[in-house]
Amino acid sequence: MKEFIKNKMVFAGLLFIAVILIFAVLAPLIAPYEPAAIDTKNVLSPPSIKHIFGTDTLGRDIFSRIVYGSRISLSIGFIAVGIAVLIGLFFGSVAGYYGGILDSVIMRFVDIMLCFPTLFLILAVIAVLEPSIFNIMAVIGATSWMGVARLVRAEVLTLREREYVLASKVMGARAPWIILRHLIPNAIGPVLVSATLGIGGAILLESSLSFLGIGVQPPTPSWGNILMDGKSTLGVAWWLTIFPGVFILLTVLAYNLLGEGLRDLLEPRLRR
Amino acid sequence: MNTDFVPNVRFYRWAQIPLALLAVFFWASLLDAESDQSQPAYGDAIVVASIADARTLVPILASDSASGEICGLVFNGLVKYDKNINIVGDLAESWDIEAGGLVIVFHLRKDVKWHDGMPFTAYDVEFTYKKLVDPAVRTPYSGDFERIKKLEVADDHTVRVVYKEPFSPGLSSWGMSIMPRHLLKDEDLNKTSFSRHPVGTGPYKFRSWKSQEKIELVSNHEYFEGRPYIDRYIYRIIPDEATIFLELQTRGADMSGLTPLQFTRQTDNKFFRKYYQKFRYPGFGYTYMGYNLSDERFRDIRVRQAINFAVNKEEIIGTILFGLAKVTTGPFITDSWAYNKEVKPASYDPAKARLLLKEAGWADEDGDGWLEKDGKKFEFTVLVNQGNSERLKCAEMIQGYLKAIGIRMKIRVLEWSTLINEFIDKRHFEAVLMGWSLSRDPDCYDIWHSSKTREGEFNFIGYKNPEVDHLLEEGRRTFDRAERERIYHEVHRLIYEDQPCLFLYSAEALPVVSSRFHGIEVSPNGIGYNFIKWYVPREEQRYR
Repeated sequence: MKEFIKNKMVFAGLLFIAVILIFAVLAPLIAPYEPAAIDTKNVLSPPSIKHIFGTDTLGRDIFSRIVYGSRISLSIGFIAVGIAVLIGLFFGSVAGYYGGILDSVIMRFVDIMLCFPTLFLILAVIAVLEPSIFNIMAVIGATSWMGVARLVRAEVLTLREREYVLASKVMGARAPWIILRHLIPNAIGPVLVSATLGIGGAILLESSLSFLGIGVQPPTPSWGNILMDGKSTLGVAWWLTIFPGVFILLTVLAYNLLGEGLRDLLEPRLRR
Repeated sequence: MNTDFVPNVRFYRWAQIPLALLAVFFWASLLDAESDQSQPAYGDAIVVASIADARTLVPILASDSASGEICGLVFNGLVKYDKNINIVGDLAESWDIEAGGLVIVFHLRKDVKWHDGMPFTAYDVEFTYKKLVDPAVRTPYSGDFERIKKLEVADDHTVRVVYKEPFSPGLSSWGMSIMPRHLLKDEDLNKTSFSRHPVGTGPYKFRSWKSQEKIELVSNHEYFEGRPYIDRYIYRIIPDEATIFLELQTRGADMSGLTPLQFTRQTDNKFFRKYYQKFRYPGFGYTYMGYNLSDERFRDIRVRQAINFAVNKEEIIGTILFGLAKVTTGPFITDSWAYNKEVKPASYDPAKARLLLKEAGWADEDGDGWLEKDGKKFEFTVLVNQGNSERLKCAEMIQGYLKAIGIRMKIRVLEWSTLINEFIDKRHFEAVLMGWSLSRDPDCYDIWHSSKTREGEFNFIGYKNPEVDHLLEEGRRTFDRAERERIYHEVHRLIYEDQPCLFLYSAEALPVVSSRFHGIEVSPNGIGYNFIKWYVPREEQRYR
């Protein structure tokens, strides 16, 4: 029964992600209005048939902005996490395989990176770089690989003692080959799980940045900057906050559910 | 969300946020003056909510409105403005103007003590002057004091100021806060710990400052104009408009500025009518988009004119400010005598804008909707400070207008100090959306004179017009009001013709004060001028 409910949740998560994906891919077809089209005659109008999620302080259609915003959220989620996974895999496997001083140096570096509050690190970087979407992806990726690195290192530490690694060594394989062919493929399961969970985190981080006004810059809509707009009008226009908020919540939730589902699938050891 | 109690500032300040509750020339109040039966009483505290923290409490270095407000309560100048914007004595009891304006002799009050008990003397004035003109001190206010040939201390309570040439803003420039010589004579003002523990002569004494949290002042019982009624002044820093509003709704703040949205749509209810008094009067500053005039594209006046035609200011005011602002065409306060009403704002005319750009050589050659010239797209970035949603929205609207004529404007939001220190001071920008808080004297030499373009100075857009330079110099030499009016009207006309920046609007001040405070009088000089006379009747007091 428990299993069944869990499966249902995973399915719901997948379904919601699919919806967002469709939004992102088919945004121009789905959105009824241009997301940046200012309409000063329709400022702050509540949800209606014409504007199902209402309009914002400049009369822009919230639904259209959310649909377009899903592109930003998804691409930032995927690419930032992709970058994080690549960096994490590299450092984690090198540290785990070679051990010794190299391991100590890399892991202390990971500890140092973990000491910085990510958000503030990003704020500092954004002050120097242009806050373009690409930079934001890169910065989020470059500041969130440490978890992956630790995970991979731990996996590699046990994997490198396995017989097949020994066999490979005996046959004369060199370290890069062993890491790429034997270690990483075997360590990828938990990484995939943490990456899925990480996508939710990255989306949340982008929303926070945009909410502070220093993430994705206007007129590009992102869920975070729609939310920011809503903050100052919370008392008179709830629709500006509720809709983007709900979308952020559901998307992050969906990725978390999916991540849990993947863990059950890929790590039978954890199954009860 | 700022309040400005500085009773005597002649100087401009960065308007980091649009809602500076600065004192003003003409006023219209929603509050009917009721006859007040209550008895003044000492005690209670006022909690003022501010969006920004102070940067330094060394008054001659303070160039932001938060610092200016605190300094205005802790320090005094020699003169100040009364409620009708006349110059009256503050630390100076009286003064004589001699030799046709070349010499001012100040007779100082003899009953003034610094907060630490030391007597205030003419040497403090001399000390402050020396620091103002010391090149090692990074003050933006040196300009006015560099016109002084010499300053002599005649005796402990008499100061003689001799100017190089007649200088009409001279008297009002002595509204500058005077600093204590005995505490600062061996200090480096740029680094002194005094900046966080100021000692002044003003109605309030400094008590504590927790960065980004609050600044607390206590009343000076020995104040020479009498003990202020309100015992404590608590300046709470709440870096967000919406949060400030929530604080008002829970009565956690007694005084703040409102946003136009809050003013029109959120405060017309029973709660606010019961617990707060709302005020509304023309603001003391303006919002503009400044171009970096060393940028080749903006050097062409046709481009700047085109942008002026392309932006619909009326629509911006109606949409973002709910009509609580005025279109402005020049560098003066819209209701002041210096403002040239003959200068009419350009009408909204995108067709004309396109024509001008075409004349300037900008055309959409590849048909992608954006203008090009010599194969380069017309694309620039405007910088906006973080935390000012009104300005950001304004930028978004301008972005829309410019898109319609084929100019791609990108927006970049930056944290305030990064914006000023790294981008504006270093001239590292293409355009900025900013505001100025203005002085009551129309002299705007520091903002528009071509000599004021060094790092840290106010003419950062790099405006240069010999004719305007000349007029600005003449305006400072002239004492006759009618003559000055003529001069500044001309300055206004020339600057608007040149379009060195896109003049947008002058927003109204929309302060709100808890209704337990009595004695507030709206005047041409705003509401802050008689702050020491505000009081809370004994039975209504809330804080010990």
